[in-house]
Amino acid sequence: MVINVRNLTKRYGDIVAVDNLSFTVERGELFGLLGPNGAGKTTTIRIGMDILHPDAGEITILGQSPARAKRFAGYLPEERGLYRNLKVLDTLIYLAELKGTPAALARERARYLLERVQLEEWADRKVKELSQGMQQRLQFVASLVHDPEVLFLDEPFKGLDPLNVERIKSLIAEIHQQGKTIVLSSHQMNLVEALCDRILLINRGRAVLYGPLAEIKRAYAPNTVRVRASSIPPALPGVADVECEDGAFNLHLAEGTNPQAVLKALVELGVEVQAFEVAPVPLEDIFVAAVSREEV
Amino acid sequence: MDWRKVWVIACHEYLVNVKRAGFIIMTAIVPVLGILALVFAAFFSGEARKLGASIEKMLDPSAGLLGVVDRSGYFSQILPEYRDRFRPYQDEAEAEQAVMAEEVAMALIIGDDYLETGRVVVISKSSGFGSAAVSDSQSVRKFFVDHLLAGRVEPALQKRAADPLKVQSRVLSSTGQRQGEGPWSFVFTFIVPYFMAIFLVMTIFVSSGYLLQSVTEEKESRVIEILVSSVRPIELMAGKIAGLGGLGLTQVLIWILSVAGFSGGAVAFLAIAGASLIPAHVLILGVVYYVLGFILYATLMAGVGVLGATAQESQQLAGIFSLFAALPYMVGSFIFANPNITIARVLSFFPLTAPTMMMMRLPLAEVPWIDVAGSIVILLLSIPAALWAGARLFRVGVLIYGKRPTLKEIWLILRRGS
Repeated sequence: MVINVRNLTKRYGDIVAVDNLSFTVERGELFGLLGPNGAGKTTTIRIGMDILHPDAGEITILGQSPARAKRFAGYLPEERGLYRNLKVLDTLIYLAELKGTPAALARERARYLLERVQLEEWADRKVKELSQGMQQRLQFVASLVHDPEVLFLDEPFKGLDPLNVERIKSLIAEIHQQGKTIVLSSHQMNLVEALCDRILLINRGRAVLYGPLAEIKRAYAPNTVRVRASSIPPALPGVADVECEDGAFNLHLAEGTNPQAVLKALVELGVEVQAFEVAPVPLEDIFVAAVSREEV
Repeated sequence: MDWRKVWVIACHEYLVNVKRAGFIIMTAIVPVLGILALVFAAFFSGEARKLGASIEKMLDPSAGLLGVVDRSGYFSQILPEYRDRFRPYQDEAEAEQAVMAEEVAMALIIGDDYLETGRVVVISKSSGFGSAAVSDSQSVRKFFVDHLLAGRVEPALQKRAADPLKVQSRVLSSTGQRQGEGPWSFVFTFIVPYFMAIFLVMTIFVSSGYLLQSVTEEKESRVIEILVSSVRPIELMAGKIAGLGGLGLTQVLIWILSVAGFSGGAVAFLAIAGASLIPAHVLILGVVYYVLGFILYATLMAGVGVLGATAQESQQLAGIFSLFAALPYMVGSFIFANPNITIARVLSFFPLTAPTMMMMRLPLAEVPWIDVAGSIVILLLSIPAALWAGARLFRVGVLIYGKRPTLKEIWLILRRGS
């Protein structure tokens, strides 16, 4: 495992920001850290980057303390900003040097990454001359310039227009394919759903859901099947309710009913089934349900 | 502590800030003012001389032509070297007429009882101010002495009687060793300590200003969070102190060099000559106090300054320390009169005033060794404490946006480190 969080606790006065949190992130994994505002995501990441110290518990990255491992980790903070009056290339070289990368190597890598995000022509311009979208991409590059093994991305899509969301999304996917370990914190569920292998949902500093995304979705799947057919016979065994939506039927199954049994019954009754699927549950619904349950 | 990172930060801070318009303008102000002063002086020098002469004449009526009516017999034959300045008259009426006609500025009536009484009547027009000026005038006194003694005593004795003493000072230490002679004693008992202490305070003010500006900008632009994810706050603080301390030193050196240049090298010569007259131990201790003082102040200012939400707030917070640095100047007159006065000794044992106080005292007198050792030990103990406190405040301060912590919160930060 690359990241190991054990019984992590962090308090700000009387407020418990992170409460006995434990999870692990495996090598090459794209791990989603989800939660509402104030859930403790940023605090957890800041402890991982050695910006804050925990009150109890610990984080190890690549088997080392955050203080030792920070040169192998990249960080895109939620509160973003760069030196406005510094040149783009100089900014990247300076930030890479602070991570221990020699200046010549940093220059080479910075030029390569600027080319990857179509900013190579801006290398010798001041940061303040870049548009907002360009600055966001540059900020992303700044977290990668020292070639980290682990990347913490705190709300990487915050404030981005759809075009830049797609650009950053494809960059994250590319880095993931290169075998980097990525922790992505976000409250934009559709993006997490599209990118992450496993997730941890936290609320009020505590773990609410943790595991592979597919398993969580399965566990939270409603007992509903979606059928595209010309009609649905009445009083279908095991079906409690039927509703029509967008030219398809949602069959709400009685408790304990197997969807396969319903499909079999439909075929036996001579219904021409064009499509049959267990109704998917959006991550957002799982998020709301899990957090609501926690609040109760 | 990773010194390579500290070096990277120091170089970055120095090179970025040395190119700032604000730095260049502030640094150029002193040389530019010097050039303006030179141009002004060159352009108006002729007029200034005339003005100077008329002012001199106005303030010292005795500097003009003087009439002499002599009844004592000692001044009847005016010596050749005084004839263009003193004009003889037969009687008072003639002298009064010359004064009224402004042929002479004043007339001196020397009575026949002059040798017994020394009485001289001064006749001047409109104001009695002239008589006082004559009484204090060195040239008039010399006229009297020369005429009284000419041909009666040896020329050397006559010369000495006219100008009996030329004062030179010699300062001895408590062990009887000479600390300096002649005009240099003034240089190293007053100018050098004052100059060294001012140099320290100026560097502190200039550097801390840049330090606070740098930290506030990084906080406002949020880049500070990336920085503290790469380096330890103490490394960031140390790098900034080194880089911006160097920047402040550069600025102060440029100011001093430009002043030296415009004064025809006189200031530089004075500094070098003065320094060569100062005992080696005073110079070495001066450097020690300078370095310790700068580290202490810069650390505290960085730690406290970073707590401010805005640059102005940060300046206000850090200003507390500037006040301490300047405190010895407020008691400066007592220190120059008696460098080992109780208040000077007390302030030498207080870490925030020790550097400037000791730098002022050391060249002035033999400072008790207990004061030297004690103040250095106190500074050496204070610096790690300041680094610890400064780093704690800095670590938390960099992540505080929008509000200044209360005193209670600052205390909690120091206690818990978060």
